[in-house]
Amino acid sequence: MATTTAAITISSSDISDNAIAISNTATLTKAGSTTGLDQTSGISRRTLTGTPATVKLIDLDHYQGQTLTENKAAKVYIKNTGTSTANHVLVSIQNGAGAAEEIGMLYGGDWMFFPYSAVWTSAAHANNQDIDVISSHSDSVTLEYMVIYE
Amino acid sequence: MATTTATLTLTSSDLLTDSLSLSATSTLYDAGTTTGLTQYEMGRVTVPSSDTNNILIDSTAAGVDKGGRVYIANKNTDETHYVQIAINDAVLGRLYSGDWMFIPWNQSDAAGDIEVVCPAALSTTCDVEYAVFHEGKTFTAA
Repeated sequence: MATTTAAITISSSDISDNAIAISNTATLTKAGSTTGLDQTSGISRRTLTGTPATVKLIDLDHYQGQTLTENKAAKVYIKNTGTSTANHVLVSIQNGAGAAEEIGMLYGGDWMFFPYSAVWTSAAHANNQDIDVISSHSDSVTLEYMVIYE
Repeated sequence: MATTTATLTLTSSDLLTDSLSLSATSTLYDAGTTTGLTQYEMGRVTVPSSDTNNILIDSTAAGVDKGGRVYIANKNTDETHYVQIAINDAVLGRLYSGDWMFIPWNQSDAAGDIEVVCPAALSTTCDVEYAVFHEGKTFTAA
């Protein structure tokens, strides 16, 4: 089995009268077990350019019929590798009823890491819980992303 | 303005043939600016065992399309215990014991709450810690 750890540190010395420091380390395990997640998409890069349009960054069709994420403990990492603090990439997830629910905006240098228990239902993406992105600007922006699953 | 940073370190020596060592740091700014976020709320709650979606972090009009960030951790210790995290009923995933997550949160509308479920099948409560960094919120009159 693989051992993969994800550590986060959130810190600020001046957001309040007292400094804050949040620190946590997770060992990424399969759902309901102590066995490590052992499969990954690997680090991928995708560049968005031109007229902004919705792009399926993480397409559950890649996992069709294998239920690699369904109600399990997969994790997703996405980073906006750009430097612009004015332009962003909006990240959304399909809500299972065919509509996109916005998660949030990644500006240049921003990253996100979250659990992903998406259910694959249709090659036509009817109700897939794909991860979609759309840039706020026609300037090129490159995203790095990875799925770690079982 | 405040300076708040969030750093991720993702490592594994055996997930791939070669070692994985990934690090990313972002500074938490107001949306579209280089002004640091100045407001935050932190908490720890015990979520009752039920299949009901509970609002963990309430979306408000003042936060819509802003540069919020959310951190959530499942503090239970039994590996079978998980909480399900959703935004406005759209399920993101399951945080098993010891897992954490960190996401941008633009509160797309006042219904874009961060929701948590501690499944009834667990027959136990779930301890969750969270922090939200934001640009402002709409207060409700007493």
